[in-house]
Amino acid sequence: MTIHVPNVNHRFDPLTINRLGLWLFLVSDASFFIALLSSRVFVSGTSTPDEINQVLGLSLTVLLLLSSLTAYRAEVAAENNDMSHMKNMLLATMGMGILFVFGVGYEWYEALQHFPPSTGFGTVLFTLTGVHVTHVATGILTLGFVYFRVRKIETIGDNLFAVEGAVKWWHFVDVAWVFIYPTLYLLK
Amino acid sequence: MPLVRGVIYAAIGFAIGGSISLGITNMTGEDYKEPMIVLGYVFAIIGWLMGVGMWKIWGREWFGKSTVNDPTGGWERYLKFNTDHKVIGIQYLATLAVVFLLAGLLAMGLRAELADSGQNVFTKNTYNTTMSLHGIMMIAVAVAAVMGGFSNYVLPLIIGAEDVAFPRINALSFWVVPPVVVLLLLTPLFGGFDFGWTAYPPLATQAPIGGLLFELAFLTFGISSILGGLNFIATIITQRAPGMTWGRMPIFAWSVLAASIISLTATQWVAYGMLMIIFERVFNMVFFSPPGGNALLYEHIFWFYSHPAVYIMILPAFGAELEIISHFARKPIFAYRWVVRAFAAIVALSFVVWAHHLFTSGMGEELAVPFMVLTELISIPTGIIFLSALGTVWRSKLRLKVPLLFALAVVFNFAIGGLTGIFLADVATDIALQDTYFVVAHFHYTIMGGEMFAIFAAGYYWFPKITGRMYNETLGRIHFALMFILYNITFLVMFIPGTVGMNRRVAEYPPEFEAMNLIVSIAAFGLGLSFLPWIYNMLNSWIRGPKAPDNPWGAKTLEWQTSSPPPLENFKVMPTVTGDPYGYGDESVVHARFGKSSPSSQAAPAEGD
Amino acid sequence: MTAALIWVLLTVVAEFALLSLNLFGDAATKQGQFIDDAFILLMALAIPVFTFVVTMIGYVVIKFRADGDELEDAAPVRTHKKWVGSWLIWTTLLTIVVIIYPGYVGVQELRETHEEEADLTVNVTGRRWQWSYEYEGRAVSLFAKDDMLILPNDSLIRFYVTSEDQDVIHSFWIPAFRMKIDAVPGLTTKFDVNTTKIGNFNDDVNFRVQCAELCGRDHSLMFTRVKVVEPAEFEQWIADQAA
Ligand code: HEM
Ligand SMILES: [Cu+2]
Ligand SMILES: [Cu+2]
Repeated sequence: MTIHVPNVNHRFDPLTINRLGLWLFLVSDASFFIALLSSRVFVSGTSTPDEINQVLGLSLTVLLLLSSLTAYRAEVAAENNDMSHMKNMLLATMGMGILFVFGVGYEWYEALQHFPPSTGFGTVLFTLTGVHVTHVATGILTLGFVYFRVRKIETIGDNLFAVEGAVKWWHFVDVAWVFIYPTLYLLK
Repeated sequence: MPLVRGVIYAAIGFAIGGSISLGITNMTGEDYKEPMIVLGYVFAIIGWLMGVGMWKIWGREWFGKSTVNDPTGGWERYLKFNTDHKVIGIQYLATLAVVFLLAGLLAMGLRAELADSGQNVFTKNTYNTTMSLHGIMMIAVAVAAVMGGFSNYVLPLIIGAEDVAFPRINALSFWVVPPVVVLLLLTPLFGGFDFGWTAYPPLATQAPIGGLLFELAFLTFGISSILGGLNFIATIITQRAPGMTWGRMPIFAWSVLAASIISLTATQWVAYGMLMIIFERVFNMVFFSPPGGNALLYEHIFWFYSHPAVYIMILPAFGAELEIISHFARKPIFAYRWVVRAFAAIVALSFVVWAHHLFTSGMGEELAVPFMVLTELISIPTGIIFLSALGTVWRSKLRLKVPLLFALAVVFNFAIGGLTGIFLADVATDIALQDTYFVVAHFHYTIMGGEMFAIFAAGYYWFPKITGRMYNETLGRIHFALMFILYNITFLVMFIPGTVGMNRRVAEYPPEFEAMNLIVSIAAFGLGLSFLPWIYNMLNSWIRGPKAPDNPWGAKTLEWQTSSPPPLENFKVMPTVTGDPYGYGDESVVHARFGKSSPSSQAAPAEGD
Repeated sequence: MTAALIWVLLTVVAEFALLSLNLFGDAATKQGQFIDDAFILLMALAIPVFTFVVTMIGYVVIKFRADGDELEDAAPVRTHKKWVGSWLIWTTLLTIVVIIYPGYVGVQELRETHEEEADLTVNVTGRRWQWSYEYEGRAVSLFAKDDMLILPNDSLIRFYVTSEDQDVIHSFWIPAFRMKIDAVPGLTTKFDVNTTKIGNFNDDVNFRVQCAELCGRDHSLMFTRVKVVEPAEFEQWIADQAA
């Protein structure tokens, strides 16, 4: 049996091709988020109900921004082959991600009382945060897979793109939140 | 085998997802059916993909295990998750040919109903479902046949690559298509869907479960389209043969690049449109109904995809058309650079014209003029495509083979399609014509007359390369003559009911419009029959046609400089590009050299790697 | 040269045919007449473009055909500054023309009456699968499916159109008037017409309100017969109804 690994390319190394692929995917997904944000105004105008938990919203934002920092540290560590630091930072990022998911869960619990999905603002809130938290979940999963792969190895070697890709994805998810947060919480 | 495994895994997936959902709805006390279908379907898709071979080739890697990938083999290599772009191209083409014929049969049904003004063949609901199914299946063919089918097969060859940039993602984009087809064919069993392929809510949110299946199908199809676009862009950027500068790239590759940009970004919007409908159905959200919701939201989001989507269909069709015209006219593509600029302009404009579908929707009045102006501006770059086609054939040495006949028919048909489009871009005339048979005739002229004719041109043109055999020229000409004439009778006459007051998507209509509809129906049945010689020719020639030479047309692009069909990884010796591919009548332009500068170690597939 | 002659000839014949044909009868409103004229004008502009394409294809297929088995190359003309330039200029000019007229002018024309006070205002509501009408300020409403919508001739009529809240989108279209606008739940849309012609569904099927947006099972049958009568007759009818 021929065992075959597609023997890509003459001029670009696999790392570059993978990076390009990831960037294209991010462009595509960003387009989805633009659609998402544009529907906010259609469905519930620019008004934000007073019952929304501003403290929670702000804390979630800070939490995600912090996690972006640790994700960044993990990538730098990977580039420098500092495996133990990298693993710690990956774990820290995942931890904050999980905390974020719980935070959104609490937000939903509160939202169900004031603006359930069957109201205009509820529709927007649950859709925006729902789609976003799904992205966060895929981010945590990806980081988890990467962690699982690198947990025993000594040098980063071929796994650099795995770390880099997961971290880029995480940054992207954070940036998406940076747009969702004001759209949801801060519009007057 | 992989297919059976795929089905079994899908069933298991559905059981798992469905149970989780049942557990949840049991707790919340909501209706269980639709959530169960959605979650079950998500798991079923994953099971299906893993079953058909994704697990072996890809999935194991996520868990740090070794993967096995063998794209070779006999016919069974077509029936599994295969990473060879040529296999994937054929998988797409074969699947879509079947979908096309089924949707064509549905069209015959529609025309039977419309042959007279009363209600006789269908009930009102089955007519609407049939019409909607015909529409969405044809749209799927139109979006995926050139991109998924021909681009997959031809693009890597024509740019001198061994495969696409991400072969596994490529296989993934194909293998989500069969579930789309299955879902659509299942809809009639679940109450059908009576809202057309456009699925405007609130009608779509209130439709039976068949409607939910439609939305899941469209969503899945979108994923395929997005990943396909991503792959083609990355392939064109990174996999071109050494020496293939942008200016030496065949026009077909340019057109695929242009269409891929749209597919990559715009498709997300329809995905969101479908998601909103699903959310409204499953979570009782209120996107579209008062108080709060707004039905126009969907129309904007939907057309933000679906207008650009018509360029996903037509741009690669233009690319193939110009390619074929040049090789059969034995003359360089006229004004090549302008064509590339025109593609760029069309892509840019395609994103800012969507609301021309909303002139009568009740959207803000101030939007009408800007969208009319932007839409009409598209005629300028579109005109350049005509300039190029006509400039190429002028003073050429035309060889009237079947591919060229179809390509010239594209020019003729699209002239009608494009010119009638101006009537629909003009606010005043559109107010009268919107949602009448004029629109139906118009979009059949663009999609069927423009794109499908180009697909048939491409099909005949690349048939020898794909199958290694020649088709029968005489049968091909018969097919062309019948299809061209009957097509034009059917759809030219179809403009008339539109202008005299017959609206679309109706099974019954005033008896005054009967005569013209009868003519359309008779011609349409003839048109349906005209595909028989094609089916026979394709199947028969594939099995026992004469062996085709490597380059039966004497064309200069790279796909003709390798064997028919090409080996795994396409070229025995990698090409080095030294000039553009249209050097007819000009000895000084040589498209490619083989051998010297390409490292021979890459020629053979890596064994035991 | 021959090609140019064929083109001119075809164009002249087609233009004559267009002007002598009666494509769709007379519209029954001022707005509709504008739309019909716009349609004819666009046809007149499209014909030379279309005949150009047809002439080129036909001429080329006959004149430059080379069917021998030998592959013979043509002279490699890659582009031609003058052709490209004049093509771009012509297509741009044509585009600008249709943008201005009927395009921009048409939009203004259809909105011309928006500031004026209407002679009659009708509130239209769609629901699956029938229309209902309320003559504003006249204490007359039509609810039954087989009621006939009576309208006065020579009047500025304003339709406000909507659909019931939990219903779906419909589209309010009167083919004889050439005008349509969607009926969207939660939204009120409108259009104005100046009626110019007496007419009646029984003589001309286009005197009907037809739903033009797919709305489910009985979409085809969602229509109302329309009758346009002299204003005096209309007032008489209103008085009879109100009584
Ligand atoms: C044998 C040739 C064909 C015939 C006779 C035919 C006939 C029809 C008819 C009668 C309708 C219903 C129109 C309406 O009531 O709105 C329709 C709709 C449609 N057709 Fe075809 N068709 C043919 C081929 C195609 C092809 C090749 C395509 C595209 C590749 C296509 C795409 C569509 C679409 C998108 C719709 C709209 C469905 C909707 O309104 O949701 N058709 N066709
Ligand atoms: Cu459009
Ligand atoms: Cu309707």
